[in-house]
Amino acid sequence: MSDPVPLRTDAVQVASATPPAPGRSRRLSDRGLAVAFISPALLLLLAMSVFPLLWALYLSFTDYSATRGGPAHFIGFGNYTAILKSAQVHQRALTTLIYVVGAVGLQTVLGFAIAYLISRRTHGRGLLTTLFLVPMMLSPVVVGLFWRFMLDAQFGVINSMLGSLGLGQVEWLTRQRTALISLIVVDTWQWTPFIMLIALAGLTAVPKYLYEAASIDRASEWFRFRTITLPLVWPLLLIAVLFRAIEAFRLFDLVYILTSGGPGVSTETLSFHVYKVAFLGFNTGTASAYGILMVLVVIVLTQLYLRYLNKLKEG
Amino acid sequence: MAVSVDEAVSTGPARDHTPPARRVGGRGRSVLEIALLTVLAVVMLFPVLWMIETSIKENRDVYAIPAEFFGFKVTMDHFKDVFVASGGGRSALSVSFLNSVVVAGASTVLATTLGVPAAWAYSRFAVKAKKDQLFFILSTRFMPPVVVVIPIFLMYRQVGLIDSKLGLILIYAAYNLPFTIWMMKGFVDEVPAEYEDAAMLDGYTRLQAFWRFTLPLLVPGIAATAVFALIFSWNEFVFAIFLTSSDNVRTAPPAIAGLIGGTTVDWGLVAAASVVFALPVLVFAYLVRKHLVAGVTLGAVRR
Amino acid sequence: MRYPQRMGRISVSGRKVLLATAAMLLVTTTVAACGDGQDDGAKASAPKAPAAIPELTKDPLTLSFIWFDWPPAHALEAFANAEYKKERPNATIKVNTVPNANWHDAMFTQFAARKTDFDIAILDSQHIGEAVTNGNILDITDFVKNNIDVKAYNPYLLAAYGQFPQAETGKRDENASLYGLPLLGDTWTMIYRKDLIGDKPPQTWDQMISVAERCQADNPGVSGLAFHQANGSDAAAVTYNTVNGVYGGNLWDAKTRKIEGVLNDAAGQEAMDVLVNKMKPLTAKGSGNWFIDEVNAAVAQGKACIAFNWIAASGGLLDPKQSTLGTTREQILDKLGFATLPSQKTNLVPLGGMGMHVSAYSSTANQAEALNFMKWFERADIQKKWAAAGGVPSRTDALESPEFLNAGPFNQVYTDSVPRMRDMWNVPEYARLVDIENTNVNAALNGAKKPKDALDDIAKEQQGVLDSSSRKGGGGL
Repeated sequence: MSDPVPLRTDAVQVASATPPAPGRSRRLSDRGLAVAFISPALLLLLAMSVFPLLWALYLSFTDYSATRGGPAHFIGFGNYTAILKSAQVHQRALTTLIYVVGAVGLQTVLGFAIAYLISRRTHGRGLLTTLFLVPMMLSPVVVGLFWRFMLDAQFGVINSMLGSLGLGQVEWLTRQRTALISLIVVDTWQWTPFIMLIALAGLTAVPKYLYEAASIDRASEWFRFRTITLPLVWPLLLIAVLFRAIEAFRLFDLVYILTSGGPGVSTETLSFHVYKVAFLGFNTGTASAYGILMVLVVIVLTQLYLRYLNKLKEG
Repeated sequence: MAVSVDEAVSTGPARDHTPPARRVGGRGRSVLEIALLTVLAVVMLFPVLWMIETSIKENRDVYAIPAEFFGFKVTMDHFKDVFVASGGGRSALSVSFLNSVVVAGASTVLATTLGVPAAWAYSRFAVKAKKDQLFFILSTRFMPPVVVVIPIFLMYRQVGLIDSKLGLILIYAAYNLPFTIWMMKGFVDEVPAEYEDAAMLDGYTRLQAFWRFTLPLLVPGIAATAVFALIFSWNEFVFAIFLTSSDNVRTAPPAIAGLIGGTTVDWGLVAAASVVFALPVLVFAYLVRKHLVAGVTLGAVRR
Repeated sequence: MRYPQRMGRISVSGRKVLLATAAMLLVTTTVAACGDGQDDGAKASAPKAPAAIPELTKDPLTLSFIWFDWPPAHALEAFANAEYKKERPNATIKVNTVPNANWHDAMFTQFAARKTDFDIAILDSQHIGEAVTNGNILDITDFVKNNIDVKAYNPYLLAAYGQFPQAETGKRDENASLYGLPLLGDTWTMIYRKDLIGDKPPQTWDQMISVAERCQADNPGVSGLAFHQANGSDAAAVTYNTVNGVYGGNLWDAKTRKIEGVLNDAAGQEAMDVLVNKMKPLTAKGSGNWFIDEVNAAVAQGKACIAFNWIAASGGLLDPKQSTLGTTREQILDKLGFATLPSQKTNLVPLGGMGMHVSAYSSTANQAEALNFMKWFERADIQKKWAAAGGVPSRTDALESPEFLNAGPFNQVYTDSVPRMRDMWNVPEYARLVDIENTNVNAALNGAKKPKDALDDIAKEQQGVLDSSSRKGGGGL
């Protein structure tokens, strides 16, 4: 991984790669090929992503329930107003916000710091990077289960080590504050490598001559970092951060396994709440509206992400 | 910024870029940095080591307070339990591992077969609103699974795909397709279109040119892309837990999650199952280490 | 200029194809969905099972169950394959297991799909209402009348695992319909350390608390109490309901469907106060997410003086491999005692366990086999064998048989507890009611809510769920 691989900035190359199409027959076959090659993929996406979403959109305006059966009654924006006005939903939104900001913020700082430290090493970078990447490759199920085991207040190894240091037991998963912090810590543990990896890609691509120029000017280290390193890495880092924000916003599995929303409902994220609405009461209509609202947020975040991605690619 | 990045690449290996300030008082700082890195590495890797250690401990030692780091009795029983049922024969866990292999494998094949040609077409032809199409494709990947699972569930019950491997394969393929297209488009872009043009001048059709000249050059890229798709499907939990329920369909993640919540938790078994489950992913990830940045950003960022 | 136009045309035609296909897909599936919707409306009540068992097939047949993953599920599969095969050599029994947290969802998503991979659902007693109202399980009233000797049971056990609408505590309504038969009986047992608090278990709840208090003070590192506090499944809810029952409270007024003002009356408040302010301080730090397995682990590690757990989940405590209390079963039993719950204002205990319910979506041949299995399972001799195999039977003769009473140290506790049982609400809204109670009791136990606020919130929110049948959007929030 230490190999310096070119940071490619391939914009979506519009038409430039397209060869001239002289003959009529070839033109026809090109057209056919493009359709034949692209449409199966698009069809699968339409069937498995777009269509279900449209269906959810339709259901979100009804009082349909997947188990109770009976026809769906159209109830206009009833579900939407109920959700937007619900104090329960506001609470989950706040929890999700704290979680997203906390986790993504923490892993950005840590991930960048690790990447910076690694980029300054001359030896063993490949090995270091590989080791740091292990948590990211694990299934959220494994991560959740195992941290639950380690964070157990009575038998967990974390409290055991704190005990050896003469510190008291911490109720990691059963106090309002610590439970949310634990969730953030575990997510940070798993996803810091992600930020690190991308930051490292940016850092290794910072041209050497810029530093050399700066050192001739006897610029301070901090000045160099602020004026050279950060601006060059920032666009890439921003993409990583947005990417993580989208993923964190959707978080479900870690909550399901680590705290199942507890204590009380204090670590229930929006995704977890949608699950409860959808599968405990089978209020499919409400759950669909709730889901559509979440999708709207995701779309906004995705648009931001794509815009920065585009900027980066076009330079 | 892109310009400077490209120049940087051509100036030579980044390995050489050692900030000159090191010369002054660099030694103490270097030691500090190494120490810091070591601490961070230990923190990051400790849970993994603890998992491995738990998997070879006897259950009685698992709960020991204070925790036992060394000097416990090593046992391989938990690993045996992962594969062999208590009464002999195959364990439910090993069946779920097999299901995971089938589901992840088939969905990857499907996503690759659909994605590679599409990526090639997007790279080579001037499709109208190409950018929009590509961004639309990527955005489908960002839908919250918990939300998608509701209509997917309703859809599957119409066509009888609930609790079937095919159902999981289809949803995973759709989930991996955006990634495959984006990642592969990058690889196709790297292969000059002139190769195909030259072939066509020699009398090959475009399809033949793609098949004979471009595709062989894409094989390493396809392999890397497929491995990432494999990892995503292998680790997936949300769809698996809501769309499957029987032992002969259930994949490994929900099966491992099912190990807790009985009457006693066999943490040694959980740890052993986790190790066995994670091992192939780590091996695969190591194989594609050169493409990790592209892989984890769904092909959006390349280097 | 020609060039982009050409390209434009290509994709337009391509897009048209896509759009048309998508539209077709949308229309067909929506039509299918609507058709299904009307279909549902017609069969909104449970279909009836035949009064007599139809002729059984001679072909090989697999009879599938669904349960959550715990020892009784494996015991059932082994037992049924060994014993039922003697009668029906062509039948194989398969018990599908799902994670406990996923149990309700796994069954009801399949019910919702109108296609089940199981023939017999092992429903929690409180799931019956939801399944019956949605028409997911067979009405077996006539079958029971013709095939089951109902006098052989404590009437409440038959009611608890089969009757809907629900029976009031301890009674069975002879005219109500039956939808299931008992599979595994269960209740809480008190597990106490004989070596720490003496051979005699405390008799009243107050006494139990003070004994635990003293034990905790005398034995550093051992906590006085261990019980279910988690916010998943029905963990914290059952704990509160148990204390509520013991202190003379009521969960609801079933006739008027009132929870508000009933659950949070003076007795209810006292129960919450006892649970949060007297019992919780005696538990281990960080035990606020404990359920069955964590309580078992605490007992096995010698970290609790008195613990409460389901009887069916207590077998693992006697396994020396998992325990630090002794290296043999006898050594462990020297230290562990099992007793019925202490009483206070009442002697109520929680009803646990599950019944067998025939899926309405299983094939006729499998439904016939399922009925035959149930008839077989409820036979006096089979119930005794089930007891000997580690199960908890329901027939009175089996409960009083030496086969059962000698099979485990906690079995006498079950037999003694049968006349004292009380269940939760068995209504279609159960899953939501129990979630509200679970999360709020869990919040109170972990200091996220004041006990009184938690109880008032439970009453208010549960009442809201019961009253929300005429909702206009937002149901389930």
